[in-house]
Amino acid sequence: MDIFLRSMSGGAGNLAAYLAAHVLLCLLPAFFIAGAMAALIPKASITRWLGRNAPYRVSYPAAAAAGSLLAVCSCTIVPLFAGIHKKGAGLGPAITFLFFAPAGNILALAYTGSILGAEFAFARFALSLLFGIGIGLMMAVLFWRDDASHDAQTDALFAQQASIGAAPLGVLLSLVAVLIAGTLKLWPLTATVGTLTLPLPWAEVWQAALYQWVPFDAAKGEEGVSLQGSLLILLLVLIGLIAWKGLEDIVEGANRWTWVALGLAAATLLVAAMRLTPVPGGVELALTGRALAVAAALGAVLHHARRLEADAWRAWLWEAWRFVKQIFVLLVVGVFVVGIVRQWIQPQWIENLAGRNDMLANAAAVLFGVFMYFPTLVEVPVAHMFLDLGMHRGPLLAYLMADPELSLQSILMVSAIIGRRKTFTYVGLVALFSIVAGLAYGAWVDGMERVWIIGGLGSFAAVLVTTLGWLLGRRAMPARV
Amino acid sequence: MKSVKILGSGCANCRKLEAAAREAATSAGIEAEFVKVTDMNAITAYDLLSTPGLVIDEKLVSSGRIPTQAEIQGWLA
Repeated sequence: MDIFLRSMSGGAGNLAAYLAAHVLLCLLPAFFIAGAMAALIPKASITRWLGRNAPYRVSYPAAAAAGSLLAVCSCTIVPLFAGIHKKGAGLGPAITFLFFAPAGNILALAYTGSILGAEFAFARFALSLLFGIGIGLMMAVLFWRDDASHDAQTDALFAQQASIGAAPLGVLLSLVAVLIAGTLKLWPLTATVGTLTLPLPWAEVWQAALYQWVPFDAAKGEEGVSLQGSLLILLLVLIGLIAWKGLEDIVEGANRWTWVALGLAAATLLVAAMRLTPVPGGVELALTGRALAVAAALGAVLHHARRLEADAWRAWLWEAWRFVKQIFVLLVVGVFVVGIVRQWIQPQWIENLAGRNDMLANAAAVLFGVFMYFPTLVEVPVAHMFLDLGMHRGPLLAYLMADPELSLQSILMVSAIIGRRKTFTYVGLVALFSIVAGLAYGAWVDGMERVWIIGGLGSFAAVLVTTLGWLLGRRAMPARV
Repeated sequence: MKSVKILGSGCANCRKLEAAAREAATSAGIEAEFVKVTDMNAITAYDLLSTPGLVIDEKLVSSGRIPTQAEIQGWLA
């Protein structure tokens, strides 16, 4: 019984700490951005660079851009992957797209950045981009015969032209501004503009109660729930309940609950951007530079959103809400389970296995990533747990590169479209590249000379490009890979 | 008799689209046969970049979004 209670309180504590601390200023805007990307960016504005006759200098960057801007969920990833492979630029860009989408999309980057740090998010982004294109090129070269035997297909799917309008672009950029203003830890965002003490005598008692309910051990990297955190969790639950009434049928038009839910979401972001500290006899409310910046960015979102056409903003809100329903629930369950599991893992195990940045540790991390399947974004709290337990950052990145790219689900999906032989080659390449990525980033963290790492990665890329150029030159074919 | 196909692998949007299409047909009094297409190869036979897709009488009328009741009725008429 005691064991059970300990597990449950570990799970609940982890969940409460995550919701209070990490979710709001990063995930809430990120869901809206993901929705805006799915609904407001015309797919043809990027996919027109992916047609059958696109040269590879254009098609690979375009495939990566499609991965990071268009593909937030499997309903786009799978058809677009199949489309690029069968009717568009071919196997290489399709693989680049597939590899880059889980690591390069806005939800993954925002979440990784807020939990594991901006530097880590950047490393994940840059190395996935580099290796996504590398793996795509290698696949294209290895299997160029299959690619050359494309049956006569029309180019219609990728021939449409479109560009993103001014209002949708304004909405997207101002949402990104909300995200940046809310998460960046820089002056003047962190500066305090003014303080106000509210006479709320119960605040101190409440904070003490919170620390008692969610006991935490800072040495183990656990976090408690603050007064402000509890207020934010309350607001989140409210938004969830009201959004159900306001956003479920948004496609047919908005109702009063829609505006309440959106207003609450904005208020939540503002509360999260301020600082509430319990002091004797009340709560000290500190107005921060962050709160002002978030308010200004929210104003900009509103200004641009009013110029959107009716079906555009309805589609935007629907997509945002759909992502919340699809991902948030999984994330809540995942974080809870991670909190339980963490009570049972001894730090020594992780430290012995992956506490250093060597070949074995990176390989073990990749192997774990391949055989474990975590739903979208849950890999991030899992990685956070490993980091707290003493995993080196190099193998951690290797794990993060391999896990979302190589879930069982994606392997099955890919093999249904391109066949088993190519899928196994792909899996092998991803494993190899993930290990290289982990080693490189680990060396960076350990403070190895920057020149060596950049030189090493550069020569890795140069060898790749030279080999490919040579192979491409040998085959008397138009340079379409 | 109209033939209506819903393209998609069973995600939330596909279920929502199917419900919307059925409702549109019923309220407009149009008889239609509904088929759900979940096989990826059958789906990509149509020119679409994201699911769910709506096909009416073998013509792809929308993809990647959920159209309104009014729109669907316009296509069905």
